[in-house]
Amino acid sequence: MEIKEFKIKWGMVIDIDKCTGCGACMVGCQVENNIAPMTKKDPYNYVQALTTHRDDASNKLRTLTWMTVYELSNKKVFPDHEVAYLPRPCMQCGHPACVPVCPVVATDKNEEGGIVSQIYPRCIGCRYCMAACPYHARYFNWWDPLWPEGMDKGLSPNASVRPRGVVEKCSFCHSRYLDAKNKARAEGSDPMDLADGAYNTACAEICPTKAITFGDLNNPEHKVYELAKSKKSFRLLEKLGLDPQVYYMTEREWVRMQGDNYNGGDGAASNNHG
Amino acid sequence: MSVARRAFIQMSVGASVGILFTPTVWTALDDVSIWTQNWPWIPTLKYGEVKGLPTVSKMCESGCAVKVRTVAGQAFGTEGNADNPLSGGGICPLCANGVQVMYSPTRIKAPRLNGAEISWDEARTIVAEKLAAAGSKVAVISGDQSGTINEVFSALLTNQGSDDFYAMPCEMQTADKAWAGLMGGSGQVGYDLEKADVVLLAGADALESWGPTVANMQAFAANDSGKFIFAGPMQTRTAAVTSKWVPVPSEGMAAFTLGICYYVMQAGRSVDAADFEQFKSMVVSNYTPAKVEATTGVPADTMADLARTLLTARNPVVVPAGSVAADAAAFALNLLLGGAMTVLPEFDKAIDTAMSRSEMLKKDILQGVSADLLLVYEANPVYALPEQVKAGFTVAFDSVETETTAAADLVLPTPHSYERFDDMVSPYGMPVATYTIGASVSKPALDVMNAGDFVLGLVDLGFETFEEVLDAKVSAIGANKRRLMSGTAHVAGGSADVGGVTLASSVLGKAAVPVKGTGAVALAPYTLLNVGTANQATTPNAPCTISNNQLIGDHMVVMMASATAKKLGVDVGTKVKLSGGNGECVALVQIFEGVLPGVVAAPLGMGHTVGDEFSKGKGDNVYKILTVSSEAATGTSTWAGSTVNIAKI
Repeated sequence: MEIKEFKIKWGMVIDIDKCTGCGACMVGCQVENNIAPMTKKDPYNYVQALTTHRDDASNKLRTLTWMTVYELSNKKVFPDHEVAYLPRPCMQCGHPACVPVCPVVATDKNEEGGIVSQIYPRCIGCRYCMAACPYHARYFNWWDPLWPEGMDKGLSPNASVRPRGVVEKCSFCHSRYLDAKNKARAEGSDPMDLADGAYNTACAEICPTKAITFGDLNNPEHKVYELAKSKKSFRLLEKLGLDPQVYYMTEREWVRMQGDNYNGGDGAASNNHG
Repeated sequence: MSVARRAFIQMSVGASVGILFTPTVWTALDDVSIWTQNWPWIPTLKYGEVKGLPTVSKMCESGCAVKVRTVAGQAFGTEGNADNPLSGGGICPLCANGVQVMYSPTRIKAPRLNGAEISWDEARTIVAEKLAAAGSKVAVISGDQSGTINEVFSALLTNQGSDDFYAMPCEMQTADKAWAGLMGGSGQVGYDLEKADVVLLAGADALESWGPTVANMQAFAANDSGKFIFAGPMQTRTAAVTSKWVPVPSEGMAAFTLGICYYVMQAGRSVDAADFEQFKSMVVSNYTPAKVEATTGVPADTMADLARTLLTARNPVVVPAGSVAADAAAFALNLLLGGAMTVLPEFDKAIDTAMSRSEMLKKDILQGVSADLLLVYEANPVYALPEQVKAGFTVAFDSVETETTAAADLVLPTPHSYERFDDMVSPYGMPVATYTIGASVSKPALDVMNAGDFVLGLVDLGFETFEEVLDAKVSAIGANKRRLMSGTAHVAGGSADVGGVTLASSVLGKAAVPVKGTGAVALAPYTLLNVGTANQATTPNAPCTISNNQLIGDHMVVMMASATAKKLGVDVGTKVKLSGGNGECVALVQIFEGVLPGVVAAPLGMGHTVGDEFSKGKGDNVYKILTVSSEAATGTSTWAGSTVNIAKI
């Protein structure tokens, strides 16, 4: 399958050498995208005694974390041990594995900007896309989202709320893209040529160490254009050929090796990113 | 009438055909399938104009300068404030969830006396009576490190003839006890992490939980050419991004720093202090690198390397944390190096009878608090210091339910940070004196009152409302209120006088000796903001950000190196009991090679017994197993050097 190319290609460059794993991006993402806090009790379940409790956040197999931070270890023993943190949003692949498997075209890559869409009302919850995604970037709503009493007042206007039975994922805060384009139109500038920073994701904006840089990978005026081409840049599982639009940067060779999921056994595997 | 077989068959066939033609069954089936999948409650979004309103958030220890995002006037999110040096556009994970905490069902809804709701007038009468009865036996515990609210409370104490103002244990207090208490300095120590070319973080987890975390992280990000080195008993989040991690046991931090001082003085560096020669001979005789290596296990070569790095740097800085001795040793090293340590002058007070910051930090809460009337402001001593606080009558001011509000006699709900006027005066660690003000950006929905307004209604301090106090503060420091309200900070240049500072050699010589408890394993407690702090439990959206290295299911996780685990006969997932101090904790073991052998690392901030479902019953409370020991030489108490025994269960 051909890699889908667009004039505008929104992407991220994440500097692992600056990420402390503090989790602010994850919290910022959940607030922006109306991901409900995980609650055990369901006040609307009138037959609670007959049913099991919902899962709370301790069950990581049931949480929804569009942006999630992984801890990496160089697996050496004290004192040679090193640790690094890797934030993982949706990679918005140029050649997404999730799109062709969707039986109802609930996910597609067809909009200028190259963001892989997820259309919740179309999704039938078969989860083929979750099985296909090698980055584990997709999440299934095992439960109806519930905000404890009064907390629904804090719902963000930027993402519709999804019911249970639906798959969801990072959309690069897509409504912010629409807002940025609308603003450009209102100001009389070209919505297809947004200035660097006019459209930014919640995680990149909140990051205290500015480890996440967001922009148009095809636009030489955007910082990510150069950063993605940097010698220390790489992409996750590049050998699968999915052409992710999220790049990572690190000086540490062991991190780059893990990024390509190098298993040491296949000998031929090597990073082809310089 | 009998029904013949034929009639029965005819009726059955007729009914079957009839059902095929009536829509009732199919509609009912369709409805059932819809009803069973229906949401019992469908959340609706609010649309309208989106704004970002500047204010301050007091959820993390240092406080964050934030912008609260509102849609059609309703707050929904929190973002950074690029115009303020405390934020630079970023925020910490706790404050990122501020709005959700503001709407949380765990907010205190009305004043409460022994569990029964009362009116504010009744509350005022009760506190006025108690104040009159207690006389000078009144104490205040404040969980706010940087607010002018502390001036109001300390002026109240002065009015009562008491000086029992207690801060919750914090790095600012340790630093003040070292700088003002031992070394005779004035002002507040700061560190210019952005302009320094070498930063040695001697125990300070500066990029995760120490000092003005977000400002530190901004400085780290902006300082591309600077070399950051972390020293401490475990590879913290900070150590994940620094160029080097130097394993140093926490009780050995002061000795380790003096070991570096040794090399720096060998290179001919000196300080214009009265007791410099005494300091030098103390280090040369007691803290030679060989001796430090013997007591702390840190190789002399490592200290020599670090000294060389610091000596060749143009603008180096050492940032300490832990004990008073460790701070004093680092300040001495900074004075020898003459680098990027700064000394901030204190802004003038708004209330004349209030205490200065240094006076507020004088009392040692770890040595215990005893009073007839205790006022607790947004602090959780019942959780973090369960044995230290005793009072006849306790009044707790807080916005959310905590262990302290549950145990208090009178509970007075305060507005959330976003619903009130508040400020941040030079949070500890900032390189320059800064002042930030926060206005109310969301209308309080509950029956709450600013604690400042409540106190000013009780005693005559010359102000009617807390807003007036803030106005007085703004004019005292010569700032422009309009500009402050737009979210920018007032930054004052200048430096406090460092003449007359001594190196406290006689005290430091004794206090820097590593002293460890008697338990089998040293305890390295650590703070992660998404897990929570002593005063603030984790927030609604944060639990799913907590990793398996801190919490699995409802169990706390403690980390240790494989060598330690082997010695203790435990492995990944072993359930253990940690006993230390006067308490016990239950935890699961995780192997993490970034912990010094012989040390177990445990996360602070979990194990709440009161609060919302996001924090209650999750993990265990490590504060229970910390040992308070007295640093005899400095006359202060410390948790450094805590040890625990570990048993399989």
